[in-house]
Amino acid sequence: MISCPQAFAVVGILLISTAGPGEAQGLPSARKAILDGYAAAAKQNDPTFHGFSAAAGQAFFLAHPGVGQPETPSCSACHTTSPLNVGRTRAGKDIAPMAVSRTPDRFTDTTKVERWFTRNCRTVYGRLCTPQEKGNFIAFMASL
Amino acid sequence: MTARLVRFGFLALLGVGMPGACSLAEDGPEVAVAIPVAATSAAPGEAAMAKECSACHIAYDPRFLPARSWVALTARLTSHFGEDASLDPSTTRAIEGYLTAHAADSRYGSSGMMRGLSSSNVPLRITDTPWWRRQHRRLVARGEASGDGIRAAAKCQTCHGANGSMIDDD
Repeated sequence: MISCPQAFAVVGILLISTAGPGEAQGLPSARKAILDGYAAAAKQNDPTFHGFSAAAGQAFFLAHPGVGQPETPSCSACHTTSPLNVGRTRAGKDIAPMAVSRTPDRFTDTTKVERWFTRNCRTVYGRLCTPQEKGNFIAFMASL
Repeated sequence: MTARLVRFGFLALLGVGMPGACSLAEDGPEVAVAIPVAATSAAPGEAAMAKECSACHIAYDPRFLPARSWVALTARLTSHFGEDASLDPSTTRAIEGYLTAHAADSRYGSSGMMRGLSSSNVPLRITDTPWWRRQHRRLVARGEASGDGIRAAAKCQTCHGANGSMIDDD
């Protein structure tokens, strides 16, 4: 019998979409708190900071900076070129879509968000991302 | 080949209370068995191991490598097969503790899993262990367990089932 990861992904999305309303209401405020934190940090780095840009986040997501690990030249290496899609890790596991519209609890857990920015900015960009870049990225994922 | 469906619960495969459980016995026919993907016991560190490791790959059974390998792997999570898999120190310690306590050379392992592995050998890939290569000798013989293939072979779920319950032995 052949396994079917796509089927599991569909089931997973269905399960997520049926989350209770109480939980769903807390998610946008949790995401806003994370964005507010990045905005405060961005402003500290640059007094002329004037908010986050989903377009800049999209460009950051699609870029091939060529300075990270050869196995992960871009975000799309694992997440595909559309955050609406289910991604795939190099070890073969599905990754829930990054788009908030598809995976409502994205960017609502500070520890998880920081952990993955730290890991993936290092492997793709060869450095840590700035608060501005993180905020742009989340703004893009929340705009889809 | 006749497809054989085998179902094992995590505890059955882990062999809790039954060191050297038969599910990983040596020298039987090459039959795919279920791979555990999630924690079902309350052993310290198991929940963290299942959650964090399975974010990227199946949470490999700790009996697939000796304790010294798990120590080496958890000590270098910032450089984990080309990925940064870093975790905070306390989570890392908890996972290391679980993996080493249930490793191939722990009381949960079996002598077969350590056979052919010299004490100076610290395999970082399960597919590099003599045990794995014996168990998958047909894959090895067909050249499907080297180069890029060995990475594909490391995707155990390709043959063993994505949820640890459905398998195909061909």
